[in-house]
Parts: sequence; C-alpha cells; structure tokens
Amino acid sequence: MTKNTLNTASEYHVASLVAYPIFTQLDDVKAAIVAVDGTEIHATSEEGKIVFTIEGNSYKDIGKKMDLIRVHKGIINLSPVYHQVLDESGDDKVAHNS
Amino acid sequence: MTINRREFIKANAIAAAAAVAGVSVPAIASNLITSSDITKLKWDKAPCRFCGTGCSVNVGVMDGKVVATHGDIKSPVNKGLNCVKGYFLSKIMYGKDRLTTPLLRMTNGKYDKAGEFAPVSWDKAFDVMAEKAKDALKKDGPEALGMFGSGQWTVQEGYAAVKLMKAGFRTNNIDPNARHCMASAVGGFMRTFGIDEPMGCYDDLEAADAFVLWGSNMAEMHPILWTRLTDRRLSAPHVKVAVLSTFEHRSFDLADNGIVFTPQTDLAILNYIANYIIQTDRVNTDFVNKHTNFRLGETDIGYGLRPEHELEQRAKNNGETSGSSTPINFDEYAKFVSTYTLEYTAKLSGVPEHKLKALAELYADPKIKVTSFWTMGFNQHTRGVWANNLCYNIHLLTGKISEPGNSPFSLTGQPSACGTAREVGTFSHRLPADMVVKNPKHRAIAEKIWQLPEGTVPPKPGYHAVLQNRMLKDGKLNFYWVQCNNNMQAAANINEEAYPGYRNPKNFIVVSDPYPTVTAQAADLILPTAMWVEKEGVYGNAERRTQSWYQMVEAPNGAKSDLWQLVEFSKRFNVEDVWPEELIAKKPDVRGKTLFDVLYKDSAVGRFSLDEIPEDRLNHESRDFGFYIQKGLFEEYATFGRGHAHDLAPYDRYHQERGLRWPVVNGKETKWRFKEGSDPYAKPGSGWDFYGKPDGRAVIFALPYEPAAESPDEEYDLWLSTGRVLEHWHSGSMTQRVPELYKSMPDALVYMHPDDAKKRGMRRGDLVKLISRRGEVQTRVETRGRNKPPIGLVFMPWFDASRLLNKVTLDATDPLSKQTDYKKCAIKIVKV
Repeated sequence: MTKNTLNTASEYHVASLVAYPIFTQLDDVKAAIVAVDGTEIHATSEEGKIVFTIEGNSYKDIGKKMDLIRVHKGIINLSPVYHQVLDESGDDKVAHNS
Repeated sequence: MTINRREFIKANAIAAAAAVAGVSVPAIASNLITSSDITKLKWDKAPCRFCGTGCSVNVGVMDGKVVATHGDIKSPVNKGLNCVKGYFLSKIMYGKDRLTTPLLRMTNGKYDKAGEFAPVSWDKAFDVMAEKAKDALKKDGPEALGMFGSGQWTVQEGYAAVKLMKAGFRTNNIDPNARHCMASAVGGFMRTFGIDEPMGCYDDLEAADAFVLWGSNMAEMHPILWTRLTDRRLSAPHVKVAVLSTFEHRSFDLADNGIVFTPQTDLAILNYIANYIIQTDRVNTDFVNKHTNFRLGETDIGYGLRPEHELEQRAKNNGETSGSSTPINFDEYAKFVSTYTLEYTAKLSGVPEHKLKALAELYADPKIKVTSFWTMGFNQHTRGVWANNLCYNIHLLTGKISEPGNSPFSLTGQPSACGTAREVGTFSHRLPADMVVKNPKHRAIAEKIWQLPEGTVPPKPGYHAVLQNRMLKDGKLNFYWVQCNNNMQAAANINEEAYPGYRNPKNFIVVSDPYPTVTAQAADLILPTAMWVEKEGVYGNAERRTQSWYQMVEAPNGAKSDLWQLVEFSKRFNVEDVWPEELIAKKPDVRGKTLFDVLYKDSAVGRFSLDEIPEDRLNHESRDFGFYIQKGLFEEYATFGRGHAHDLAPYDRYHQERGLRWPVVNGKETKWRFKEGSDPYAKPGSGWDFYGKPDGRAVIFALPYEPAAESPDEEYDLWLSTGRVLEHWHSGSMTQRVPELYKSMPDALVYMHPDDAKKRGMRRGDLVKLISRRGEVQTRVETRGRNKPPIGLVFMPWFDASRLLNKVTLDATDPLSKQTDYKKCAIKIVKV
C-alpha cells in the first residue's frame, strides 16, 4: 500500500526504479525502501532485483527520497528508469518523462 | 478522473521498470511508455551526451523543447536503464545561464584583452577572430595557431576541425581533451596491437566468469555497465569480481577481492601476475608461440615535464627513443618478470599476499574467462602506456583475448572519445583511421581523399594538450580556439601552466561553450554553442559502436553548433591567406576560393543535396550551408577506414539502428576483433590474427615498475588522487546546472581516513586547505563518505568550479602518451 504523501501541491510525480541489492541483504533493503514515504515495491526478480516506485509532489521530493535509499549499504546499484509528472492544476501535462 | 490518470502513469512507470528488471509485466504493455496519445510528445532516439558507455535514450519533444528522456529499451547497451545523470539528461540544455550571444572583451566598443565582456554579433566576433588568426599566421606562420577540441564533439565536428586545422591552416596544433583521458589507452593499443580500440565488446559482460577492475570505479563512472556487471554477478554465483584501486570506493561493495595498493605499484602487480602465470606453468604456449612476440622496452623515460625540470634532467631516455624496444625471447621475458615475486610485490604494493595470489589465479586458471576493465587509474599515469601494455601481457600469455568473456577492455570517459577523438584522429599527431602525420604515405592518402595538393598536410606532430598550455604561456601559440571542453578547470597545474597562457597579452583565446565555464571566463571571445539534440551528429562509444541522431529542437536563439562555427569561420579565409604560392601552384583551380569552398562545399563533403532532408526535420547547418553537411562529412570521413579494418556502414543506416560496432563488413557489425570467425579481417586458418602488426603477432612487453613523478615526503606528506563522482560529469559545467544533481552532490569534499584527520586535529566538516608545491585549494573534510582512502592518501573530485583542484595537481605526463597523471601528487593539508 502506498503511503499518501501528496499534499495540496498541484503536481503529482511518479518515478520507477530498479534496485540491485546484495542478495543476503534483500530483506533489509526492501524494508529500507518501504520505510521511505511514498514508495511501493511491485516486484522482485529471482536474482533479487527490486522494482519499485516513488511518488511525490516535486522533482526535489523524488530526488530526496532517491538519495535516502541510495545510501543504504546493502544496495549495490540503484537505477532510475522512468519519471512522469502530472500537472493537476488544470490541463493534464507531462513535464518530464525520464 | 485524476485518480485514473495517476494510476495510468504509475502503471506505465511500473511496466518500464519491470521490463528493465526482466520480471513479468502487468497488463499494461511497456510500449505505452512512448505512447504519444497520452503524452503528446514526439519521440526520437539519441545516444546519451555524457560518458563513453553510449547508452541510447528516447528523447521526447513537446512545443520545441526536450521535456522527457528515458532509457531506450531497444538499446543493446543500456536495455532501458538510466543512470542518474542520464535520468536528468534533458535538463542540461535548460540551465538559467545558457549563453545566447558572442561575448568579446572590449573597452569603448573595441576589442581589448584587458576589457570587460560585452555582447557582439556573430559577424563582429568572426571579424575579430579572423583578423587575429591572420595576424598570427603572418607573424609566426601556421604553428602560431592552435585548437583544443573534444571527445564530446560529434564525429562530423571533429572531422571538420581536423580538416580546417591540418589542411586549411596547415597546422597540427589540434588536440582533444581525450588527451587527458584516453591517450595512454591509444598508446597501449598501438604499441601492443598496432591498431586502436578494444577487441571485445559489452557482450563480454554476460560471458565472463571473472571481472577485474584496474583503476576503474565503474559503480560511479559507468553505472549502466556496472548494472550489467552486477546483474551477471548476482545471476551467476560462480562469478568473481576483483577491484583494485588506491582507495576504497563504491565498486568495492561488490568485490570478492578488494585490493587497495600503494599508488604506482599497479605496474609491479601486473608483472607479478605474469610471473605467477609462468611460475605455475599456465602459459598458453601454443597461443604465445603462434600469435605473440616479446620485446624489451626502453626504461627511465622521464615524466613529461618541462625539459628544465630536475626529473627530466635526471632521466636517461626521455628523448625521441623513449618508446623504443628490442626483441627478446620468452626465456628472457620470464627472467625479467621473475624479480616480481609474491613477497617483493606484496611489500612494495602494501597488498596482502593472499589477495595478490587470488587475483593472479583468476588470470592463470585456464577455465576462468576474465574481463579486465580499466579507465583513468591506468591511463592517467606517468607510465600509462606501460600499464596498458602490461595488462595485455597477462591476457596474451594466457590466450584470454578476443573471445566472449576473455577481454582486456579499456573503457572510455567521453561519449565520443573513441568515435571522434581517436577514430577521426583529432590528436596532434594523427589523421583518420589510425594514420599519423609523420608518415608520408598516410599524408598522401589524406591529401588524395581531401582532393588537395601533395604537401598540404604538415609532417611535424603539433602541440599536444599539455604542450599547448605551455606554448601559450611561452607566447609561441598565439591564436587558440577551445571547443566543447573546460580545460581551465580540467588541466593540471592551472595556476602555473594554464591561466598565464590564456591571459598572455600576445595571445587571442576563443572559447565555444553553452555555458560561462571557468575556461570561457578566461577567454577573450566566448561563442555560444548549441548542444546535443540541438544539432545532428554521430558519436562512437567504447565498444566501437557508432550511433547517430537527428536534430530534434532548435538551439536557443543565437547559439550555434561547433560544426556551424567551424565551417562558417572557414569562409573568412581565401586560400591565398593561408597557403604559400608553391602549394597553390600545384592546384591552381583553388585560386581565389575560400577554405569553405575548398575544404567543404566543393569537396566530397558537399555532394549530398538538401533534398535528402525531409522538410519537417530540423537541420540548421545544412540549410544554412546549402548541402547535407553532416552526411557529406561522415561519408568522406568513412572512406578513410573502409577496406582498412575501420569500415563504417552508410550514414543513413545508423539512423535506423541502435548503433553498429565497426568494422561493419557486408552490412554486418563485428563483436570480437582479431578472432577468426568473428572478425572478417582475421585470415582464414589463423585462429587469431593481430593484423594491426605486419606479422599478425601482438607484442608482450618487458617493462619494469618505476616510481611516480612525485611521492609524499616529510613536508608534503599525503598522496592526492583526483577523479569524478556519480552525479557529475567531468567539470560539472552541465550537471552542476541540474538542480537535482547539484543538490545531491553540491561541493567537492576531500575524502580522508579518520586517523589522518585526527592526527591533524581535524574533524568531519572542518574547513581545510590542500597545499602542494604549485598551489592551494580550500574545501571541507569528509571522513565517512562513499570513498574511503587508506592512511596517507586523500581523494578529492574535480567537478567543482568553485574549488579548482587542478591548482594543486602536477602536470607530469606519460612521456609516451603525453597524458597527465591526475592520480598522484604530494600535498599537505592544514586547517583554515
């Protein structure tokens, strides 16, 4: 279940990432990911690759959460895959889709 | 409705990441990532603009602006992945301080070297530039002109620049910033194999049983390749990873054998491994007998410093013969390396014996397929060419080469260090396709392809990067054009050897850049430059993959690509301005023509018409010059390599593919060179054919350990190593302008061992000065970060323009490659 982090800001951001943990620390890493607000784990591959999303209300917000996760000792590599922004102030608009 | 929209884009995000991770994708297909009906974006492919990995990204354009990029799932390189720099790629073009007008130093409306920067038109900028170039030519001849280019130039830009300088202005004083990055690798390839660039490819990442990183922090510098390596390690438990460095960094997280060695002793470790292979009787004798020669190299070759420096005075063989060698046999070679015993090497390098032995065993065991990766640890080394040679030695002794997984692999730092700097030959001694200016046959080939008279290209190698700065300071290089790099931040010893030359009243310095970098601010004229997908181009990555892209957006009004600048500038010179009468007399039809006519429009470069460019495709340069210039430059350039083991495909094909690895023969790319069956140039029946050498044999070199140019002593008691970090690319001129990257790593800190800090009464966060014999820089102490130096060594990255670390470094180079050693000098650190 995604923790609701969205406030009154008009932007909705979603980013998806793949984390490559040290296999023996898989559970630790998963716990560290979901401990960050707005994250959700969707799948874990046999090799331990974790597919997760981060939701937030600004680039800064998403970037900050990424940094929180990246510093975990059990993560060998963290690859951002996709980022999209929904401007909910009026027309739907994609500002960045990385 | 909004909830649905959120769910929809979130599903897209999940689908993309799941596809990358290779886990089952939910109902929404991954192709929705680029679904234009929802995003209203126009998508096209382009190689990433940062490192030498050569990831392909999909670029989304809306309302004339790049608003989106994501990893290209169809790319064999990155398979949909991004690194954090690539993730924010689109934002590099939209920094607030983007330059949009030429800026000239002026007083009272006239050029004045001591004046302040003021906006001028392009016409006025080129008028002043042409006047200064012609003055320098008249006064001191072509050698007074020079250019410093880039491994970030497109292939076409590099090629246009080489032609303008070497044939137009008839000076070889053109060098790329790849001199700081890849010159030792080039020297290593040419010396061992007689042909440049890796024999293997990234497919080795999925085939190797062991990886050895020699002076390469792939986790931060080549994150996508690191992801593939990580993937291999995690999915195949037998795979081993050894990481060697002079300090512990992020790549050690994955290491089965992490080795921290005393700077410069990598040379001894490499020789120890060769000795171990011989002593344990694991030489692949059949391979060695058929495919190699042994040679003893010249030693005591100096440190590439100014000739009056005491180290150069003392060196015995730092002249023309420094690269020479004599033939020896296997027994003599075995005797040579026999001094590198386990005990001796462990003592010299500070590495425990069991770690050295485990490392050597990876190479010696015939059942283990080994890929060695290296970057600046080997290349930025006063014996960089040697380090490259010594690594090839161990792959050649065991025959572990040119096969999937068996691969000595030199990685590159820039997106087109291979494609542009090396293959096009933008070095001061080179021509396209590995040819060199001092070889009369090579000059003749170039002159023939360029349709120019015999004797156009001068035979003497020009000033290389480090020498260019010295010659500017000495007033011998007077007109200097810098494109696509930030050398006032990147060059070593800038206080003593760079800045004085830029501000020397005899000199006129032009810097082309999208942003007001440190280098631009030290210039006399700044030209605003278009970047990346604001122009059409080609890059070549570290695995010989050539990739192209189209212009996708207009550059900001006033900014022009490096290609446009070079070619437009050539219109300002008549042949009579630059060539002597006797040369013109050999080809009288060039009389009265401009360099633009002779080098571009009327040559093979001008033969493709604008009709080949669809009306709805942007192409500023071609429409301005009246012909499809990017295609013309590429096709003329490609004639150098076709049929000579550097074959490129037709230009248009690259726009259909996610790149192709040269040589491309009969439409097929080559994955592993020199191996029969995989490389069409390897002779039938040969097994392996190192055809870069006349006898088809690669060379195993006997070369010793020699000490660094400068080591810590009582006063300057610490080693300083410089380098990069994940978030920033090189000097940070682009990535420092992306708020997310700046915030993540805002300032360059000095990483030091907690005991070293304690000993000096320092704590984490303290403001300190790093002082060398050449200069000083202020920063803060980090004792807990991602980099963990051993006692006696500190690491500080150089991306931070507010803390110019290269005021401290030493401009010692490898005497063979002329590449600077940024990894070793002596400093002291004091509290401010």
